Parts: sequence; structure tokens; C-alpha cells
Amino acid sequence: MGGDQEKSIIEKFLEENVLFLGPDPEIMEDHSVVPTTAREQAALDKFSDSGQINLVRHKLQTACNESFDMVEQMGAAPGAKWGDLISGVWTANGDLALASMGGVLIFSVLTQHPVKFILKYWKDDPTVGLKDGDIFMHNDARYGNIHNTDQSLVIPVFHNGEFICFTGAIVHEGENGAIEPGGMPSAAESPFDEGLKMSPIKVGENFEFKRDIMTFLQNSVREPKLQLEGMKSKFFAAMRMKARVEEAIAEYGVDAVIATLRKTLTDTETEVRRRLRAWPDGKIRTNCFADGTLRENCLIRIRCELDKRDDELIIDFRGSSPEFLNRPNNTVLASLKGMLAQEFLSFVWPDLPRNQAVFAPMTVITDRRSALHSSPDAPNAQSMMTFFPGFTAIQIGVPKYLYSSSHRATDIIAGWYNMIVTFLYGGVNQYGELVGNVCADLNGMGGAARSNRDGEHSLAPIFAPMADIGEQELIEEEIPLMKIVPHRLMKDAEGFGKFRGGHGYQQIATMKDSSMWGFMCCSVGSKFPTTYGIFGGYAPGTLPLCKVKGVNIFETMKDHRDLLRFTIPEIMNERPFPGGKYTTHHMGLQLEFAKPGELYMITQGGGGGYGDVLERDPETVSKDYLDELISMRSVRNVYHVVLDEKSGAVDRAATEAARKAEREVRKRRGKPYREFVKEWETAAPPREVPFYGSWKDKALIYRGSPDDSCPADAIVPVMMPNPKDVRIAQLESELEALRAARK
Amino acid sequence: MRRVSVDIGGTFTDCFLAFDEHYVESKALTTHHNLAAGFMEALEKACDDLGKPVREVLSSVDAVRYGTTLGTNSLIQRTGPRVGLLTTAGFESAVPLMRARGYGDGLSDMAQTDIPGADRPLPLVPISLIVGIAERIDYKGESVLSVDEENVRRQVRKLVDQGAQAFVVSLINAVVNPSHEKEVERIILSEYPTHVLGAIPIVLSHRVAGRKAEYSRTMSAVLDAYLHDQMYHGMSSLEIVLRQNGYTRPMLLVHNTSGMAQLNSTHALQTIHSGPVAGLEASNYISAQFKEPNIIATDMGGTSFDIGLVTADGVKFYDFNPVIDRWLVSTPMTYLHTLGAGGGSIARYDRLWEAIEVGPDSAGSDPGPACYGRGGKLPTTTDANLVLGYLDQDNYAGGTIKISKRRAERAIEEYICKPSGMSLIEAAKAIKRKVDSNMAAAIFKEVAVKGYNPKRFIILSYGGGGPIHACGYASAIGISRVLIPPFSSVFSALGAGNMNALHIHEKSLYLMLYDATMRKMLEEFTVFNATVEELEERGRDDLARQGVNLADIKTRVELDMRYGNQLAQISVTSPLSRLASMHDVITLLDRFSVNYAQRFGEGSQAPEAGVRINVIRVVSYVEHQRLDLQRSTKSGGKAPEARAERECWFPELQEPRMTRVYDLDAVADGMEIQGPALIETPRTTYLVEPGWHLTMGLSGSAWLVKN
Repeated sequence: MGGDQEKSIIEKFLEENVLFLGPDPEIMEDHSVVPTTAREQAALDKFSDSGQINLVRHKLQTACNESFDMVEQMGAAPGAKWGDLISGVWTANGDLALASMGGVLIFSVLTQHPVKFILKYWKDDPTVGLKDGDIFMHNDARYGNIHNTDQSLVIPVFHNGEFICFTGAIVHEGENGAIEPGGMPSAAESPFDEGLKMSPIKVGENFEFKRDIMTFLQNSVREPKLQLEGMKSKFFAAMRMKARVEEAIAEYGVDAVIATLRKTLTDTETEVRRRLRAWPDGKIRTNCFADGTLRENCLIRIRCELDKRDDELIIDFRGSSPEFLNRPNNTVLASLKGMLAQEFLSFVWPDLPRNQAVFAPMTVITDRRSALHSSPDAPNAQSMMTFFPGFTAIQIGVPKYLYSSSHRATDIIAGWYNMIVTFLYGGVNQYGELVGNVCADLNGMGGAARSNRDGEHSLAPIFAPMADIGEQELIEEEIPLMKIVPHRLMKDAEGFGKFRGGHGYQQIATMKDSSMWGFMCCSVGSKFPTTYGIFGGYAPGTLPLCKVKGVNIFETMKDHRDLLRFTIPEIMNERPFPGGKYTTHHMGLQLEFAKPGELYMITQGGGGGYGDVLERDPETVSKDYLDELISMRSVRNVYHVVLDEKSGAVDRAATEAARKAEREVRKRRGKPYREFVKEWETAAPPREVPFYGSWKDKALIYRGSPDDSCPADAIVPVMMPNPKDVRIAQLESELEALRAARK
Repeated sequence: MRRVSVDIGGTFTDCFLAFDEHYVESKALTTHHNLAAGFMEALEKACDDLGKPVREVLSSVDAVRYGTTLGTNSLIQRTGPRVGLLTTAGFESAVPLMRARGYGDGLSDMAQTDIPGADRPLPLVPISLIVGIAERIDYKGESVLSVDEENVRRQVRKLVDQGAQAFVVSLINAVVNPSHEKEVERIILSEYPTHVLGAIPIVLSHRVAGRKAEYSRTMSAVLDAYLHDQMYHGMSSLEIVLRQNGYTRPMLLVHNTSGMAQLNSTHALQTIHSGPVAGLEASNYISAQFKEPNIIATDMGGTSFDIGLVTADGVKFYDFNPVIDRWLVSTPMTYLHTLGAGGGSIARYDRLWEAIEVGPDSAGSDPGPACYGRGGKLPTTTDANLVLGYLDQDNYAGGTIKISKRRAERAIEEYICKPSGMSLIEAAKAIKRKVDSNMAAAIFKEVAVKGYNPKRFIILSYGGGGPIHACGYASAIGISRVLIPPFSSVFSALGAGNMNALHIHEKSLYLMLYDATMRKMLEEFTVFNATVEELEERGRDDLARQGVNLADIKTRVELDMRYGNQLAQISVTSPLSRLASMHDVITLLDRFSVNYAQRFGEGSQAPEAGVRINVIRVVSYVEHQRLDLQRSTKSGGKAPEARAERECWFPELQEPRMTRVYDLDAVADGMEIQGPALIETPRTTYLVEPGWHLTMGLSGSAWLVKN
């Protein structure tokens, strides 16, 4: 047997004996739009008038928006109610061509993967197939998604037996049966702790869900009611959109619809390339850091190099942190791309249509098995903890291109706040139902400062426009999570600058009327900021999770109202409740059961500042001071403004003198760049801070210690010890020392 | 019947006078400095037409009814008082943060997606005028932290020191238990009693909005406080002028709930958008009189296009959280969708799609379309209509507005033809096609999302710009019949003349009709029955205050219901006003199921997740005598002589067509005119497109029907 023949036999054997169809790298690592097929070309030849195509597109876009409204109305998940979803139309090749105007735009680039999996593996599989009336679902992020809490549903649209497109929706559903309730378990140590793992799967036929599969899915989660309502809402929205596609076919012909979907993708990519061409060519380097894994403090490097060449943008993340094999902060490459696309869809060109072609001209380079390109073996439920800083890495770099660009679609901004500071919860509600989900307050991220004005307070999350932080009265009607302070602007929580970033808000929560209730939260950035200012603007401050255990605030309300305080600084600094245990933590809280009246407190961060603080108009400093947005300390020490503490009246002459003095101090403090580098630079990362990622050489990756590294092209994933074991060892060592001392 | 109905709009004050069997319409320019002047001018014109002096008419009419779109003006111009807000401590930032998404409320889709460019509107209540009161009521209505009098006094003084001229008290969960809001009111009144000159008005949130959701309820109360004084003084001065001219009865104000009430029973918030709502109410009436059960009501003006729905099943559509200017509020407003599309909508060439886009940016009336010559350079819908020949350059708006075709051509050439390479006519046709398509898509979505098939509806087209585009957008939806209603140019005023005295009261509650966790149906009916009774009583009190006969009061119970924990709250008209048995509960479940399936599709219902009532609403009303508008019985009449003819272009035809032009007055009841044709009135133009014909009806009404 010849070598070739033998090779062919082996290949055939391997092809026929696949254990199971896991995530396919060929699908998962390719974000380009499928080239125009012969069928699409034939349609374009018949239907090419751009005016007509625009009318068909408008019809289909309206249908996307209509089905978005339906999911939002019919869904029961907080995510659905507050806009954490999209609905859309995918071409027969699996590319998302049109999506709803609102919602989470990360999905625009991410949803193609499971659809392409269906087309590649199930369409022609005799045991599965693809026919009219089929319903497919999926949630496993390793097949394309942000995390397993998101569930997608698509249905095929046929016309006279010809498969035309898919319609469907994807929603952040919340609870999914993971190790912790709520769907985003920061305690997950493997993908098997992350709850439901639907690879793309047929869940219904003949336009009906299969009862056995529905039961299986409901049985796999803590909220069977939510699972049912989520599936129904997505399905009926997809059906409505299918009807609209069929109406468009009836009105304009099948070629019109096929041509419109294709041309929408092609035109979008062409436009993005045209806009990129208007940027100057060149490289921009940025660095961002995550200050923990949600289980322990450490420094996780996100290294980014942007390289703009003609009509292409290369985004190189090589040299970033290695994968954490037993922590859920890893990002599947496709998820990272989804988040990066968000920068362009929301923050650079918000006027562009919502489809995946927006990201087609970008190339993303990563190290395999890095935290930004994790393997299927690594959990990813909290991928946001690395891909949000990844997003910021490009967000603070892009303004440097835009500054010299002839075309801008919106304002130039500093770094938007980028963490989901909110409570996740799980337990029994006041009506005896088992529930678990996430609060909508994560949507109030502080807006970045702009090149010509301040940022807005708690305006929008980085992943969706028009997202809602909800109404407390409606929330506490359904769950026993009572906010003493729901959203209160936090003093000094801004990125200072000539134009300041918008503030975030503080939240003080407790539990009332439940037999079992637990809190979680999942953000990094309580020690090292996750977003930054630009052109001299400051990063916003870092803020911890604070707790007061051993108190019952309701008893205090009843008997000692004089002790009540309504801000976190007052509570933590004054410690007014006798017997309470006051603690601060990083914002990675795994499910912790609370007693009625105990306090859990977190603060949403602010946006980055823009420009030099000494150039800020003193009158705006005064206004912010009177509005209690900044303290006198910031007025004096950051902005160097002299004003009357009571009236806020600015002393212009004194301010000018104070600022002049500060400029002199700066000059004295300053030193030549080379000197600074010489003094500052070290050969390896510090020993006292567990550091992950490259230091000087992007080809060498450190794994938490200057003594532990690996090559970037052969990354050894990191296994972290259990923080409880670390704590036990620490206490045992202290005990040992005490015993030794007593002897 | 003798009745005066007036609708004060941004540009015109419309008057509809019913005097026995005579119906008269008139218009005057709105006089913003003193609304009464425009009001009286319009009324004088109508009285002139009737041949009777104003005093004689006013002293003999049974009612003067008044609707307006003007409430938003003082919001936009920020001319209201300094409102101080007292809210639950810890909730001080709810208003400034506007639920985060509030930055985009009231803006176009495109503006909403632009997060970096987003700016919240200038606040009605600045941060310095918001104070927290240490108190707390929980979701069940239990007080967990009582009101402390000294704390309230201190905070109130702080607001007064800051210059507050009105107080809003909005405390968490006040709709379940208003005792704390009332307690705060008592304390404020003890500090600033009403009998002293320095009295400060107090608005309690639970009295303005009955449903849960603290931000939108607070904003409702804030808007109410903000508008209260100005509206009160404006209305009162109007009432004084009426009295000086012989009117002795109380003036009735049209509400945005499709009802009306006297000044003493009206919140300022209820008057916002009441003009357009009155137009929809008139559509309801036309539906009954013309026996057309399914109507899509469309009102196209200079800057906006309102869409409303009348359906055979009588479902009432509400917008429970309408956006007023830029503010999300909580009030059961009759639902109208407003699209930023009108004669002033600006057209542009979109290089991405290599196609024409129109709106949502608008040139409005100032500077207006390029053809107006008032400084507007950008091409608009009106410019395209002029280039296509639909408008008469020499006699536009009855000759009151001078327009220039050359300016319109120049704008289209510069901004559309140059970048696109299209010819002038191609570009103008593309604008017309896109405008019609935009309106059609918006109509389609509005109707379809509620579960109806738009093709089973007729279009009702009124407003200055509607009849010129009606054939176009009807065609794009697949609708073949358009009705231009009688008195279409004063249609909202006509609607005001046809309304009932009506009050809506509602209350949030958490009532499980079916508890899926416990698998239990509602067995205890006290809460339901007591809530309905309480709301009926409040409605009765409102109407009684206005002197109506208690025996004439009718009520309708509506329930906002949902499956599981959905956001959707489908409004269901309850066939029962009291529950007495499990059978009654099943009746409600069935009614909800039917409504839900109608909206989202059969099979989409999810009773297995539980069924809940979230809000009970009681509509209390007294029926008033209606106007008598008849459908014409004539048809097939020969067309009159055309006044002129001119060359017009149509999107679907390559070549221009000579189009006959008629004066509306010359087209008598029953006459038929084949398209293409133009019927001109001083206020609008009816465009009969090729393939359509027009049949004239009574009082200026007309049917446009596809051949």
C-alpha cells in the first residue's frame, strides 16, 4: 500500500469514527462573510436595483425590529425585559445579514457560528436534517456565544422547497443550571460547572417543540418556567419574522430577498473598508489589565497592538495572559471578536447596519490557549472578565486614528466603564419559587468623557444602546432583593479630566421575605482600573464590594433610625451599626447566603476622563461640587480649583495661582522619558504580584511568577489553587507560628 | 346639539361648530402669546359662516370642548417653575439617571444607537432640587421605616432655600400604600399652608399615576407639577374670555385617554397630546358611522406622521409609558405611534446602500423645505412633491405660502443627483417612493405587532400632508381603500366634539389567577372585588364633581395580565366587574388567552408558567350625544370640468402624465374621478394616483380606491 493510499484510508477512518462533533475550529475561528454563492449571484443578476433592494431591506429590517419587540414583551428573563437580546435574519450560508436595531450587538458577529454548524453537520445528516418546521437551539459558547446563559433559536425559511434563510433570536436568559444560580457562575472550575451545554440541536419539528426535549431542558435548570417562556418567546418571534420574509418573497420575489441579504453584507463590508481607508496607516499599542479571576487577586495582562493598513485593521493580542484552566474568565476567540465588533458598531460607526460584515475587514491575532483564545477544556462563563478589558484595549487606541480621520460618525471618547457591576442572585422568592438570575443594573455603566464635553453618568453598557437599569418597585415585587439604595451617584467616581467621565452609582442591597437567598457579583477592577482616560484624562477610581454582616437593617429602621446611613462611604467609614461585621472584598463574590437585613454594597464605575485636569473649566468643577459629584478634596487636589465651600463661588485669581503652582510642581517632578524608563523598567514581572502575560517579550508568557513562564506558541494553561485551600494553608501556617512561639 | 370644539395645534387653531343641524369648520393661526386670541378668531370665523354672532352662539351651546398638542411647549422651552422633588432616601438619583436608557427616549432610532454622542436632556429637576426622605414602604405596602417629621421639615426647607416653587413627593411603593406620601404632604402643608400667599403646590405621585415603577411615576408627577401652573392659567384665561362672550358652563378639556373632563378634574399630564388622540377618537366614530370596523388612522403633518388603530374587536390600545418630549411617564394614554415623517422630512443620498433615505431629520416649518425660500437648502418631501408636479407653485396652501420650484429642483440636484448620478425626476420619484415606503413600513409594524393583518384594514387619511401620499403608502402595504374623512382638515377638533366625559383610574397589584408553582387557582376574590370597587368609586367621585347624573355613569373594567414573569402586560377588557366563582377566573383566563394569541400567535400562550393580574383599571364614563356624520350613498357621478391640468410624474411610470386638477368645491357628492388627478383645497391636495379613482362623499370626505 502506497503512502498516499494509506493516508487516505486513515483519513477516511478518522472521518467516520468521530467520537462527537465538538466545536469546529474551522467554523469558530473564521469570522469572514461567506463568498457570494452561485445562487446569490443569480439572484443579484435578476434583482440589482439598489433602490428596490433598499425597500426590501427596509421591510426585513422592520421585521427584525418587530420580532425584537415581541421577544422583549414575551420573554420572562430580566435580560429579555431590559433589551439583552437581538433578533435577525441569517443567509442560507449562515451569515447574519440583518439584525434588530436595538439590543446586544455583540451577538451580531457571534451568532453565525452555531448556524454554520447546523449547515455543515446537521443539514445533510439523515438523522437530523433541515426542513420546513424545524426548530434549532443552542447555548454552548464554545460553539459560538458569549456565555452559556445566552440561548439562541433559529428556524429555516423555505420557498417552494428551496432553503432561503434562517430567522431567529438570541437572548440572555439567565439561569441555566450551572454550579451557581443565575447563569454566570464565577465559581465554575470546568465547562461542566457551567450548566446547560446545548450544542446546536434540533428541539422541534413541524413548528412545535418536542415535549421530551423541552422537559429535558426545563429539568436541567432551576427555573423551568423561565426556560419555557424563553423558548416560546424566541420561537414565536422567529415565526413572525419568517412570515415577514415570506411576505417579502410574495411581493418582490424570492430573488429579491436572496439578493437583498447578500448585498446588505457586501455593501456593509465595502463601506467599512472605505471608512478604514480614511484612517491614517500605522500602529498603536495599548495595555489593559484585569486585576483578578473573580476568585483571587492577580494581574492579567491584555496586550494589544492595532495595525491599520489601507482598508484593513489588524488587532494583535499576542502576549496576553495564558488560559486559566479552572477559572471561568477565559474567552472563546469568537466571543472576543463579538465584543471587538461592538466598538465599531456602537462607539465608532453607530450609523452602520447591524450585521457581521462590519467586522469582516478586521483581523484578530491571538496566542492559542491564551485567556483571549481559550480551548474547549477551559470554562468561559465569565469571559467578560477578559474580553471587556480586550474591548477597552482597542477603545482607547482607536481615538488616535480617529483624531486624524476625515470621517467621524460620532464623538471621540475616552474609555467607557466596562464592568458588569451588579448583583446576581439565587434562592427562594417571596412566593416560594426557586429563582436565579442577574439584576439589570449592570446596564448603567458610566459614560466616557468626550473630546468636547463631559461623559454622561451611568448611561449604557458597552454592549448595547438603550439598555435599561429597571425600576426597583418592579424588581422587588418579584424577588426578595430589596435595595436600600438602588442607584445613587457616587461621589468622586469619575475619570477626572478637562472633560470628566460620567459617574457610576452605588447600590446597597439586602434581603427580605425569603427562607433562602444568596448574592453573587462578578466584576474585576476593585484594585486596578479596567478602563482609562485618554490624552491626559484619568482612569476612574477602583471600588470594592463592601458587606455588613451580623446586622438586621430592618430592626435598625424600626428601633434606631438615627443610625441609618444612605451611602457606602458613610456606612463603611462611620460603622454605625453596633455588632456589625464590616468587610471589603474584590468584586468576585461566589454565591453567599444572606440573612434578612444584612447589607451588600457595590458601586458601578465611572467613565475615563479626557484631557488635562488643569484645563477643566473651574465653573464646571464648582457645579459638580454643588451637585455632590466631587469632594472638596478632588476640587483642591485634582482640579486645583479654589472655591467657597458653601456657595461654590470660584475664586478665579486663586485658582489660576493654584494651577500655575501645580504646573511648576509637575515640571519639577518630570524627567526625560529615557530616564524614566531606565528607572521604571524591570527585566521580569514583580514577585509580589501574581502576573499573567508577557512582560517585555510577547513571545514569552509568565504564569503568575517571574520563575514560571512558557513560550507563547506553546502556552501551558494555568491551574489556580482553591482560594479556601490557600486561606487554610495561611491560617495553618499562622497557627504553627503561634504554637512555635508558645513553645 | 349645539357644541363648540377647538383643537389648538402648533400652527393652526381648528374649530368645529355644531349648531343644531349645521356643522361648520374654521381655522385661525395659533397665537402662542395668548391662546384665547386665536381661539376666538377661529370661533368668530365659524360664527360668521353660520351667520350668527359669537355671543349668541356661546350663550346657547351646551359645551365648549378644548383639545391641544401644546402642553409640550413649556417643556421644550423650559418655562415651568423650579420643581423640588422629595423622594425616598437612597432613590435621589432615579430621576437624573433616567433608567440609563432615558437618554434616547423621544429620539430617533438612529440617535438612540449613538452612545458616544448621547446627551441627556436638560433636567426639569436639577440634582440640587432633589432631597431624600428617610422612609421606606416595601413591595407589599408594609411600612418598614416610618416618616420622621423633623427629617421632612429639614429637607423641605432645604428645597425652599434652593428656590423650589412646586413640590413633588414621590415615595417608593406609594401606589400600594400612599400613607407616607400623605404624611409628607401634611407636614409640608403645616409648614406652608394653602391659605397664605407663599403657598407651594404639592403633587403626590400616587395621585398622578396608579402603577408601580418609581422613575416613570415620579416623572409623571414632575411633569404635572411643571405644567400645572402654566396650563391652569392658560385655560383659566381662556375660560374668562369665553365667559365675557356669553358662555356660562364649565369648559371641557379633552384628555389623552380618549375622554374629557372639566378643568377641576384634569391633571396637566392628561392634556398632553390630547389633540392627536381626539383625532383617533374621531376615527373610532367614523368606524361606527361608516361601518368600517378596521381602520388605520393616519395623520401626516409637516414634521410628524401619527398612526392609530381602530379594530373590529374593540380592543383599546394604550401606551402605559408614553414619552412626553424626552420624558418617560406612566399614564394610560391612548396609543398613537408617531413617526418623524412629514412634508419637511429631509432626503439624502446614502452612499452605503446607494439609495435615497428620507428623515427622520426634518426641516420643519422653519426653515422649512427648500422651496419655501426661508433659508432651507436641503431637499425635503415637499420639494419632491413640487418637482413631481403634485403641488401648485402659484397657489400652495391657498396662496398663503409662496414656493419656488426652482429652489426645490436645485436642492435635489445638489444633494441627491450629484452624489447619486440620478436625474432630477428619478431622484424626486425615489424620494416619493421612499417616503411612502417608510410610512407603509411603520404602519405595517404597528398593525402587525398587535397581531392584525394590515390588509384587512382601510386607511383613514387626514392632516395636511396625508391625502397626497395616501395612495402611495396604501399601495405599499397592499391596502386598496383610503378614506379621507369629512372635515378632515379639522378632524381632531371634530373628535373633541364627539367625546364622552371619562376618567380612568388604575392600581398596581400582584394577583395570581393561576399560581404555577403551587398549581392553584385564585380562590379568594376579595382583593379583586375591593380594588374594582375602590376604582369605580374614584371614577364616580370625579364625574359627580362635574355634576353628572350618577345613574348615567357606566364603567368598564380592564386588566393588565401576563404569563409568568413576562414584561408584556396585555390589556384585557374584563367581561366581569366582580369575581364570584372559579368559573369567573376561567373566563378571565380564556379572555386573556384569546387576546394574547391574537397578538403573538396561537400557541404562544404560556399559562403553565402562571397567570397574573398586574393592574386593574376602571374606565368610568358618561355617554354624550354624538354628531351625525353620514356616509354618502351616491356614487358613479360624472366628474366635473377640470380647472386645469399639468404634467405630473409618478414613481411607477417612466413618462409624465397630464394630470387634471380640480377644486374640491367643484366636486360634488357622488362624483367619480379617475386617476391621475389632483383635487386641491386651500389646506391640502388629494392625489389620485394612476390606477386609483376617487369618489366624493359628504362634507369633503372622499374614497380613494384602487381600480
